[in-house]
Amino acid sequence: MIAWQDLLVMVLKIALIFGGLINVGALMTLAERKFSAWMQYRIGPNRVGPWGLLQPLADGVKFIFKESLMPDGANKALFRFAPVIAALPAFMTIAVIPFSNDIVIAGKNYGKLAIADLDIGVLFLLAIGGLSVYGVILGGWASNSKFSLMGGLRASAQMISYELTLILTILAVIALSGTLNLAEISDGQATIGTWNIWSQPLGFMLFVIAMFAETNRHPFDFAECEAELVAGFHTEYSAMKFALFFLGEYSAMTVISCLATVLFLGGPSVPFWVDAPWYVGFGAFIAKTSMFLFLFIWVRWTLPRFRFDQLMGLGWKVMLPLALFNLFVTGVFVSLGWNLWAKLGSLI
Amino acid sequence: MVIVKRKELSFAEQLYIPEILRGLSITFRKMFEPKVTRQYPEEALIKTDVTRGQPRLVVNEDNSIACVSCGLCEAACPAYAITIDGGETEREIEREPKRFDIDMLRCILCGFCEEACPKDAIYMSDELELADYSREALIYDMDKLKRPKKALQDRIDYVNRINDRWQTPSST
Amino acid sequence: MVKITVNGQQIEADPKKPLIHACHTHDVDVPMYCYHPGLSPVGSCRICQVEVKQGEAPGRVMVACRTYPAEGMVVDTESPKAHETRRECLEFLLKNHPLDCPICDKAGECDLQDFTYAEGQAAGRTHEPRRPLEKRKSLGDTIVLDEERCILCSRCVRFFEEIPKQAQLTVSDLGSRSVISTFMDKPLKGKYQGNIADLCPVGALTLTKFRFQARVWNLTKMASTCGECSRGCSTTVEVLRGSDVKRIRPRENLDVNGWWICDIGRFAFSHINAPNRLEGSLVREVPGLSIARNEDALCAVRDMMMRHKEVLFLVSPWLTVEEGQKLLDYSKRFGSKPIFVSPEHNSEKDTVLHTGDPCPNRRGLTELGIEGLPQKAAIERMQKSKCIVLLGERIVELIGASAVEALPHATSVAVFDCHALDLPQVQACVGIANSAERTGTWVNIDGVKGPIAAVKPTPRNVRALERHLDDLVKLSPSTESMGARAR
Ligand code: SF4
Ligand code: SF4
Ligand code: SF4
Ligand code: FES
Repeated sequence: MIAWQDLLVMVLKIALIFGGLINVGALMTLAERKFSAWMQYRIGPNRVGPWGLLQPLADGVKFIFKESLMPDGANKALFRFAPVIAALPAFMTIAVIPFSNDIVIAGKNYGKLAIADLDIGVLFLLAIGGLSVYGVILGGWASNSKFSLMGGLRASAQMISYELTLILTILAVIALSGTLNLAEISDGQATIGTWNIWSQPLGFMLFVIAMFAETNRHPFDFAECEAELVAGFHTEYSAMKFALFFLGEYSAMTVISCLATVLFLGGPSVPFWVDAPWYVGFGAFIAKTSMFLFLFIWVRWTLPRFRFDQLMGLGWKVMLPLALFNLFVTGVFVSLGWNLWAKLGSLI
Repeated sequence: MVIVKRKELSFAEQLYIPEILRGLSITFRKMFEPKVTRQYPEEALIKTDVTRGQPRLVVNEDNSIACVSCGLCEAACPAYAITIDGGETEREIEREPKRFDIDMLRCILCGFCEEACPKDAIYMSDELELADYSREALIYDMDKLKRPKKALQDRIDYVNRINDRWQTPSST
Repeated sequence: MVKITVNGQQIEADPKKPLIHACHTHDVDVPMYCYHPGLSPVGSCRICQVEVKQGEAPGRVMVACRTYPAEGMVVDTESPKAHETRRECLEFLLKNHPLDCPICDKAGECDLQDFTYAEGQAAGRTHEPRRPLEKRKSLGDTIVLDEERCILCSRCVRFFEEIPKQAQLTVSDLGSRSVISTFMDKPLKGKYQGNIADLCPVGALTLTKFRFQARVWNLTKMASTCGECSRGCSTTVEVLRGSDVKRIRPRENLDVNGWWICDIGRFAFSHINAPNRLEGSLVREVPGLSIARNEDALCAVRDMMMRHKEVLFLVSPWLTVEEGQKLLDYSKRFGSKPIFVSPEHNSEKDTVLHTGDPCPNRRGLTELGIEGLPQKAAIERMQKSKCIVLLGERIVELIGASAVEALPHATSVAVFDCHALDLPQVQACVGIANSAERTGTWVNIDGVKGPIAAVKPTPRNVRALERHLDDLVKLSPSTESMGARAR
């Protein structure tokens, strides 16, 4: 029997996390435009609201009122459904991310700020997260356009190649922490010294690179690739369907940034303040995630796009061996019980 | 034939990572440099002698149009923006346009019409703004194109100055 | 025939025709103003000078239009000497020629302009003002003369002397004040005046009906045939921006009209440009004629014809051979034969071109087996029949709307014409292309075939009569079943 207070707390948490995710997605579009403008000596959107802050709102309204086009010969059902598939996994996976330590208000413990505390959180996240590529592939295929189809194909190839690396690096982290529960993983890195980034520097680097590929972001955005494929899988999309793809992309970025924070940066742990109150931890979590999000934008406006064969070469010939090596070394260390970092961490 | 040798890359360079970091640091620094964007409607464009705005037709002091509908601008226009129908007039110069349309959506502001005109009747004004709610409204007819000669005088002087440079000594 | 060498090329030339003719027939370009292949040469403009060598004598520069080929002649049209002489001639011609090109209708097809570009110097060397003369001198209803532009080639003068054989123009006054004028300033008369505007190598003679209306390079030009009399003169129809026919000009055809056409044919485009075209089709419904799709109108026509045992097909004499053939085949299903309305011969007949017979395709239609019937007889036939199909451009105009109106109300009439006819008898009107919008053939009085060209697009939903006939064939049940029905 769940007490109604518990239910209310649950609902509040869900509202906060989902609402937050949607808003972050919207704000990211603005941030992307603002930062890119600044990096190019421009001002960026500044007409709607103060400093252009209401731009996402205006964009949203615009998307709603745009004509929704249906290409000739498209598979109508799939064409409509694809954006949903693309956007949905991000929303499902955010459920297992623990955003803070236990919330304690007026001496009462309300648990962590997370929707679900799954024992197999990591597996759930990987399984559902992997689905989002179906949206891209189906959208590309259903559009009945060669550009879209090529975009979809590339997305699938890329996803297969980089998901491997991603999973292998995560495996190394799991090996270290000995649990599949994300909350426990982040609990295990309470002090800055125990953050997995120190014990897994190579893993962290590989993870970050694979993260870009997984979210189809520059320099790995081959699924859209304006220079070659017009707009790739969403060439034929317009109006809200198009917006959903975008929302999906930015939400996926947010989720994977959260994941990186949990896996490598100790989640809500605050450096040098072990028993910080939960809201400070939550702030630290947001700050770390934002850093990753900024990195996404920053890299996009710095690096040129790879060639597709380079992408594949990098994935299979460099990243995969390195990830395997990393897992192997981690495995050796763990099985021999050499936990140097934990010792070092406990010193700090 | 020139054979271009690829530069041998050092290990660090092959790793790309340092170069990527260098690139990132550049873009990061650029964020804080002064911006060059011009806030257009508030900050008007700077107009100079050479500003080549939309073409306009010259109206003489006696209120007659200078154009004789010779069609040379129509023929010179690379964008097929001009359409002219001529007709007879009682004035000493027997011919004048009855219809003179410039499709401003087609016009590429190249100034060929100005250059082609044998009667100094069409000049590139400094008017640049072009916005309306329909395509039809942006096909300018004679009434919208006419400008008193005085309004175009700066441009006329400028063009004359430029043309003088090419003048070969001769008498006509 | 004599053998001569022109620019190193051995050619055979007719010694009775001037050298310039031999050059032109062998694609050697020699400029000319006063010479015209249809007029006697006078050699007054001196622009056609070429270098001619005969025997051992050194080359001499001579006018090609007044020199006749002789055996062994060696002609060089491009020698420096010839060019220099022509350039000097041009400078004289241009000395008093106004800088009028921007307002001159001839610009773009002006010989003076063309040869000046080819030979002349860019700037004049004279300081004196140009001689002022009258710029807008009316020579009657058809022609306006600009005296300043005239280069006194006298083509126009010779034309009236030699073709209609009624001298009307002359060169009056002397020296630089010489101008072209009519005797006692009387307006020009006759129906061949328009030709001098084509003849004039410069823009001195212009047509009142064309003056300043269009620049010649904007006109789409196509070879066609005049439909005003059974001579069927070859013409060029010129259309501005795909909409209005602006000019009709003669096209050289030595079998038919030489270089000329009469003014009736030249200005016969008012009915082509006429507004209120029937754009699409009309079908009778309860209150009156209403707009219908072409197919529906054709179905209505078919149903109308099948309700009656006999159908009278009355066609216009402007029908082409192709249309006539299609109609003939179709009408066999009803056991009837089309008849074309043949208007009375008019009084325009003359000795130059006009035959006085206004049916351009009389011979073509007669050879097909379609008989002509004078207007009156045709109207009588109409009164006797119950079901009438009127086909062809201007057919209504020809038999007169009043003739249809006078028919008993029970008569069913279908009209295929460019304009609608709203009378209670009319069951359907189908819009068709006019003679500037369709292709086909007319056969003239001497059996020469004349093409008709589609110079401009038809209005939307309007198609050529031929296409409608094709569709009627497709829509109709076969001959046998119709016969069964009639029984
Ligand atoms: S400026 Fe150029 S494009 Fe515009 S009307 Fe003149 S010739 Fe045409
Ligand atoms: S070129 Fe000059 S005179 Fe000629 S039509 Fe154009 S504006 Fe008129
Ligand atoms: S009016 Fe024309 S055709 Fe007649 S003499 Fe003068 S230039 Fe020749
Ligand atoms: S054409 Fe020969 S003199 Fe005029």
